[in-house]
Amino acid sequence: MLSVIKSIALQGLNGILVNIEVDISSGLPSWDIIGLPDVSVKESKERVRTAIKNLGINLLSRKYVINLSPANVKKIGSVFDLAMAIGILQASSEINEDLKLDDTIFIGELSLDGEVEGVNGVLPMCIEALKFGIKRVIVPKKNLVEASCVEGLKVIGVSSLKETMDYLNGKIEITQEKFDSKKIFGVNEKYNIDFSEVKGQKATKRALEIAVARKS
Amino acid sequence: MDELPEFKRSSLEVLRGPLEDRIVSISRVQSSLTYPCNFMLVASMNPCPCGYFGDKEKECKCTEQQIMNYRSKISGPLLDRIDLHIEVSNIKFESLKNTDEESSEEIKKRVNFARNIQKERYKEYGIFSNSELTTKLIEKFCVLKPSSQDILEKYFRKNNLSARSYSKILKVARTIADLDGSENIEDSHVLEALRYRSLDKR
Repeated sequence: MLSVIKSIALQGLNGILVNIEVDISSGLPSWDIIGLPDVSVKESKERVRTAIKNLGINLLSRKYVINLSPANVKKIGSVFDLAMAIGILQASSEINEDLKLDDTIFIGELSLDGEVEGVNGVLPMCIEALKFGIKRVIVPKKNLVEASCVEGLKVIGVSSLKETMDYLNGKIEITQEKFDSKKIFGVNEKYNIDFSEVKGQKATKRALEIAVARKS
Repeated sequence: MDELPEFKRSSLEVLRGPLEDRIVSISRVQSSLTYPCNFMLVASMNPCPCGYFGDKEKECKCTEQQIMNYRSKISGPLLDRIDLHIEVSNIKFESLKNTDEESSEEIKKRVNFARNIQKERYKEYGIFSNSELTTKLIEKFCVLKPSSQDILEKYFRKNNLSARSYSKILKVARTIADLDGSENIEDSHVLEALRYRSLDKR
């Protein structure tokens, strides 16, 4: 059974849409991740396998091949864990095989007990995802706030693999939280230091005023 | 960046590209990455190694050679890219007791006022502020009166300025006019803008 799940990689601040293709076939039992993974991606294998096992799902001893396409771009980091796990679960029919996930990307690292951990760079990933026509992103709950800053995306925050599975299978509903810019950016509006503490130096203060008045 | 001349010259010169283009490119074996870097550079330095050159009270102990060496760490091209130069002197004892200094709140009001004017003026051009003006837009929005033109020309010839400083002066004058709420750039705005090029002369 083959399944294709989407995730996103960052090169600098440019996003690259990554198709995570999972194939389970008969043959000598093995796990291979191909498509230029670096060491941290290769280690995903153990995290994903253990996380699924600890959900109480017994994976069959088969030949598992996970391909990260495009295969010529080096993949770094643990952001693909969640997508790989979902791919494996779909390929082994734990998640509805007919589910259309073409416009959804998965971002997140897994811990051994199946929790979804936060990752770095979620904001640029979401901004870039929009350019690829992605409609829905599934992100770790810890990164929910930064992801919600991006308008035009349905952002779903998940805290565990089980929750993600139940959501995809339609067992539970997760609604998108409304983004409140005031709450996030309003925090820093109070400063302890004030210009009135600077005595004299009129010319300097004037120059600073001009500097901030002209810069975006 | 505090104590600007204490940085390595090579590190300072690298700033030139990002300051102009607002992007920074890093080339590695695998690939070349480009990051946006829109930032404001604020730097300070002493007038000379001992710090008292030009002081009204205390005498500077540095030799001419030392001062030259110290200042030559900041290259002309880098200085050219800094829009506002100011010299900060010691303050008098009396002003330390001042209690009627402006608060940040009042300054912020004026700044926001000027920025809103800019936002409104440039809304059709996809930019937000005077600092982003291109040469073409400078010609359109920073029109000088003949008398201001004269002032600028005299200053320019006397100090042998670069074309880059010319457009910087115009943009700064435009900002000062905006802070004033004035639609046109007046003589006083140009004169104040010229005051912020004090290091061009040295």
